Amino acid sequence: MTDVYVIGIGMTQFGKHPDRTAASLGAEAVRAAIHDAGIDPRAIQTGYAGHVFQPMVTGQQVLAQVGLAGIPLANVENACSSGATAIRGSYLDILAGVADVSLAFGTEHLTGAFKGAFTPGEDDPEAAVGATMPAVYAMRARRYMEEFGLTRSQLARISVKNKRNAALNPLAHFKKDITIDDVLAARPIAEPFGLLDCSPVSDGAAAVILASGDWVKRHGDSSRAVRLAASALRTGEVETAPGSMTFEVLTHKTARDAYEAAGVGPEDVDFAEVHDCFTIAEILRIEGLGLFDQGTYPEAVERGEADLGGRFPVNPSGGLLGKGHPLAATGVAQVVELTKQLRGEAEDRQIEGARIGIAHCRGGKAAGVEGAACTVQILMR
Amino acid sequence: MTTTKTPVSFRPRELVVTEDGSGHLVGSRCPTCGAHYFPTREVCAGCLTEDLETVALPRRGTLYTYTVVHQSTPAFETPYVLGYVDVEGPVRVMGQIDLDPGDVEIGMELELKIVPWGTDDEGRTVWGYRFGGVA
Ligand SMILES: [Zn+2]
Repeated sequence: MTDVYVIGIGMTQFGKHPDRTAASLGAEAVRAAIHDAGIDPRAIQTGYAGHVFQPMVTGQQVLAQVGLAGIPLANVENACSSGATAIRGSYLDILAGVADVSLAFGTEHLTGAFKGAFTPGEDDPEAAVGATMPAVYAMRARRYMEEFGLTRSQLARISVKNKRNAALNPLAHFKKDITIDDVLAARPIAEPFGLLDCSPVSDGAAAVILASGDWVKRHGDSSRAVRLAASALRTGEVETAPGSMTFEVLTHKTARDAYEAAGVGPEDVDFAEVHDCFTIAEILRIEGLGLFDQGTYPEAVERGEADLGGRFPVNPSGGLLGKGHPLAATGVAQVVELTKQLRGEAEDRQIEGARIGIAHCRGGKAAGVEGAACTVQILMR
Repeated sequence: MTTTKTPVSFRPRELVVTEDGSGHLVGSRCPTCGAHYFPTREVCAGCLTEDLETVALPRRGTLYTYTVVHQSTPAFETPYVLGYVDVEGPVRVMGQIDLDPGDVEIGMELELKIVPWGTDDEGRTVWGYRFGGVA
């Protein structure tokens, strides 16, 4: 079986772009990825476009703007995992021998599509009684506090860490350091969360170009190619009895698939980009991925272990809390960050000696299901 | 013009409201393995049995977790307490909680209450549910 490599990455500024569209942001990210790869765009044979709240065939609109129309392209919707699922499409095309070079991107003009609290699908019975995404995660935080003694300031510390990393990332939505007191004083959203416990509504796009090992050998710059060793996807299972809301079985099972495909274990991983849509989410993801034992991550964050320069840096890009969360762009932007770190091109955020990175996305909610779509990708130098 | 004495439920598939102002949540029970589901399902996720029974869920349960929501959609006035209640089955149901936030505790026993939820196009009261303290 062939190996799959990331040969090009591109990303727009994340933030508010009132005068842009998802198509124009997507085109900017795709052009940047083509330039980064240094390839003739006609080498690209297939494409996958992730977007959630955008017009239909946004992917084809992007292709038209970059001169690539004609290749097979599918638009992909998997809530917050849409971009990561697009990458998996390209990954599978290369594994199947359908393409030597494939493009995956995610783009979202969220400020134009959406305001206020996020809810599950409109017809969802939980949305009908007042569920919002922040409320669901806040309930998980409250339960985690009860079971493991998590404190409010430990939660806040995660937002402080990720916004500090974002301040070092020129493409991040947030550019300012904050303190624990800032987090505690923010407007309440769903207790225990205030505004700074929640990822912002952001616009942005990110793109990656993948190629087969053979193609890299023949045409590529192997010194900058980073191997995509696993791209796993799972759907949440229907619960036959109420499950724990403080341990993510879905994340755990998706990670198991990814570790197996990559031939590594959690002990081999050097750093992570995880889906920190809310402060509690980073804890649940990291523990679900098996990177820290359940109940131990909050104290590790307090000790600085997850900081840049710590034992196991988490969300060096700033994560969703700091970098921003343009839904479908998020999963692609995580792979962009992993690639920069593994190439040694992460500048002020560089993790010394990083060799293996893991990216985790999780999106969507349906009543009675633990979570909708979850992706885990492993990249190696 | 149609008039009916049966009160209108906000979501008839999930909540049955009876003439005496009482009611219950509607779930599924698998006759093969005993698993319960809310909302109702067509197929048992545990054993793939297709002929699930529709059952009335018990009115009392235990609070698994909760939050106080301060920002929501325009359909809801904030703040409100929202929680997950585990009822016998077992099955977990989300609902608003009719108590002061200071009186809410994980593990407390709560009871289903049928409450006015709004009005329909014909001006009739539409009924929904919340959980409240056990009398
Ligand atoms: Zn069954």
